[in-house]
Amino acid sequence: MAWTHRDRIMAALNHEEPDRVPIDFGGAEFTSITLPAYERLKKHLGIDHETEVMSIIHSVAHPHEEMLRRFDVDTRNVQPGGYEGGHQEWIDTNTYVDIFDVLWKRTERSIDQHFLHKDGPFYEGVMTIEAIEAFDWPDPDNPGLVKGVKERVQEIMEQGDHAVCLYLPGGVVHRGYAMRGFEPYLKDLYKNREAWCLLMDKLTDFWVGTAERMIEAAGPENIDIVYFGEDLGTQEGCMFDPENIYAKYIKPRHRRMVETVKSRADVKICYHCCGSAYPFIEHLIDIGIDALNPVQVTARDMEPAGLKEAFGDRMTFWGGINTQQILPFGTPEEVRAETRRIIDVLGKGGGYILNTVHNIQPEVPPENIVAMFDEGLSHSYGKAA
Amino acid sequence: MAIQEIYDAVMEYDDTRVVELINQELDAGTDVKTILDEGMIAAMDMIGKQFSGGTLFVPEMLMAAEAVQAGLDVLRPHLVGTGTKPAGTVVLGTVRGDLHDIGKNLVGLMLEGGGFRVVDLGVDVDAETFITTAQENEADIIALSSLLTTSMPEMEKAVAAISEANENRNLNIKVMVGGPPINQNYADKIGAHGYGLDAPGAVALARTLVGD
Repeated sequence: MAWTHRDRIMAALNHEEPDRVPIDFGGAEFTSITLPAYERLKKHLGIDHETEVMSIIHSVAHPHEEMLRRFDVDTRNVQPGGYEGGHQEWIDTNTYVDIFDVLWKRTERSIDQHFLHKDGPFYEGVMTIEAIEAFDWPDPDNPGLVKGVKERVQEIMEQGDHAVCLYLPGGVVHRGYAMRGFEPYLKDLYKNREAWCLLMDKLTDFWVGTAERMIEAAGPENIDIVYFGEDLGTQEGCMFDPENIYAKYIKPRHRRMVETVKSRADVKICYHCCGSAYPFIEHLIDIGIDALNPVQVTARDMEPAGLKEAFGDRMTFWGGINTQQILPFGTPEEVRAETRRIIDVLGKGGGYILNTVHNIQPEVPPENIVAMFDEGLSHSYGKAA
Repeated sequence: MAIQEIYDAVMEYDDTRVVELINQELDAGTDVKTILDEGMIAAMDMIGKQFSGGTLFVPEMLMAAEAVQAGLDVLRPHLVGTGTKPAGTVVLGTVRGDLHDIGKNLVGLMLEGGGFRVVDLGVDVDAETFITTAQENEADIIALSSLLTTSMPEMEKAVAAISEANENRNLNIKVMVGGPPINQNYADKIGAHGYGLDAPGAVALARTLVGD
């Protein structure tokens, strides 16, 4: 039998070997490509079309169908439409206020054009219960969120047999940082826990409400993967104490999010966590996460062989191609060798989906992107088609 | 024993208690430098050690740093009064083209907790601003941060500019670098005087650099 794209992805997620390693490119906002790198890739491949922006905040392109076919990509992305109204406002081309009244900024003095949150509604002083309650929270029933979702799913299904990846933006920790400010948010875990918990519950409520409506709009039977997440790691360690903080205060909210999705659709869930994620993986498995992205192999304890040995039978790894050194600064031959190494280690017995560690960064040469995907395409698990 | 209590209060993130105990010690005439070194800097060093060892994490480091800051606010006039000098002055910032500041801010807090005076220039900082600020503040060290691979070339340019300024303007500013994509090889390649793996590593490095 010929493998469909969906079968290939689902085999990997079920820890079985398909015909070749499955490939994701742009299934979610953190598995895609930055706009400058996409423009160069188009030119390099002689592919000409107007670039569709997947996220202006992350400066990320939505790879065109023609591009996805060039690399025989197995996933297709669907995500919420644009929220209508609320706090949103463009102050100038480099300054944006989002639906949580968070101010985002970028600098023009770089080829990197993504935005970072720099101010929010609870930044100053003590965050009170009253202020959280009085805040004009975004509404999961906002019609903009589901706009175009059904049509996009139909389009994917008409175009082929790809795995449909529903990307649900914005984790609760990240939005917490953004609204309260990074340091106050973390200190509130000790100084103002009641308000911290209320903030987290409000954010979880919105996420869960959005997830319910998105699954309904897409059609639960049409979705194969739900992708969400947020960073719990840093380059050299964990952001939070995995047992005393994550397990007690964040995990119950993540569990609610996962259960909401799994009770409504028979899907696999991919969780995004940059940095050193190792100490959290057991917890993520426990709440029902099936795959981990982006597998930042250069962070502490994230060496692929160790990950595969400890969790390979229970967690699928999605990503792992080094964006901090090899993709931007290596040669195409080095990229091929590293891609082959990662597929061999993480892909043994299935359980691996080829993708970069986070979005392909602006300075990555197109030759290296092609080398990575072509190495994946030339891979075979040694099975007849 | 009372100095030990200050140390313990920092380890318990109790800023109110730190202030109370320092005031008691000052009233009792305890040497200001002893309170600073053995009470607060020693506690912050232990916090740093536990952070690097992976037994203590960012929220706890921030809480301990806040307790030390509260203590420093009380001690500062006395330090000036007794002519106690900081361990050194560090001009800190994220290089041009990069707006990330979480790691850089942690480095700043740990340097202050380690007894350094820190001038934080924020993010997206030009090389010349680093140099003139270091000159104005008679800084010992410029500390450069970069999260993005795309801003690494700016770090390289800044290191070159500082080195040139050292030569042409007769300065002796050391430069240290850090950030997720940075490592010792890169630091050596661009001619930095040192690389800090994490915030406590930056403090240890700064101590070595001012000791040279």
